[in-house]
Amino acid sequence: MSEFLETTVEKFIFKVATDRLYTDGHLWVKWEDGLVRIGLSDYIQQSSGDVAFAEPEPERTELAPGDDLGCIETIKVNLVLPSPISGVIKEVNPALEDRPELVNQDPYGEGWLVLVEVTDWEADRAKLLDPESYFKMMKAEAEEESSKL
Amino acid sequence: MSENGRVLILPCSGIGKTYGTVGREAAYSLAEELRPGSAEVVALSLLVMGDEELRARVQTSPVIAVDGCKLACASKMVAESGGRVAYEANVLDTFRRHRTLRPKGISRLNPEGQELAQELAQELAQATDKITRGEEV
Repeated sequence: MSEFLETTVEKFIFKVATDRLYTDGHLWVKWEDGLVRIGLSDYIQQSSGDVAFAEPEPERTELAPGDDLGCIETIKVNLVLPSPISGVIKEVNPALEDRPELVNQDPYGEGWLVLVEVTDWEADRAKLLDPESYFKMMKAEAEEESSKL
Repeated sequence: MSENGRVLILPCSGIGKTYGTVGREAAYSLAEELRPGSAEVVALSLLVMGDEELRARVQTSPVIAVDGCKLACASKMVAESGGRVAYEANVLDTFRRHRTLRPKGISRLNPEGQELAQELAQELAQATDKITRGEEV
């Protein structure tokens, strides 16, 4: 069970799960016994709107940091997701084909995108943000976006 | 079936939202062009206000709810009002079946949005026909 850091901006409550790391592009990255699971943060799924299509790259795709990890098409935007790590996609979340809304409904759980066999985790993890750092960054960004409205 | 035999169409009232506009355009097309004698558009805002006359109609008539987003306000308000949704349409689901028809615009939909509204209207017409025949949708 994940625990969360939470902030309220306008009418939105944004959560950051504390059991994983993050990118400044709002992906979460979770180490799981030699594999790494990746998904979208609560902030980016809420601010991007309802997901119409979630299309990670296929299994066995080799990734280097910055390579396309997949694409998310929402009612507002198309997000091309850069991979935060190096490795090979071992599994794509099969539920997303029929239920892409899982990314919105359960971003830190059932709405995960891919499971990756990492090749250099120690190097990759050094570039990721801990939950507290991501929370501060996300909160500042959410407040800035809110002030534009 | 309702007292006048019509299916009530309750579209999303998400003013300022593209997908809400698609839902409303589809509802108008259904009621005014495709099935003018069988379908009638009613206002979600009246239900939210607790209008007794509309609540009574919702409780005794088949209702098609047309939701513009995951909040599903139209479907929820039917249930809140003591009615039963005979068919629930969601604009996003229709878009998923017609991916090239990406809607844009709010007061005036782009051509793709208008086409998506027509696809949704056809879906609603089929549902209306089944409900009118007494079939489960």
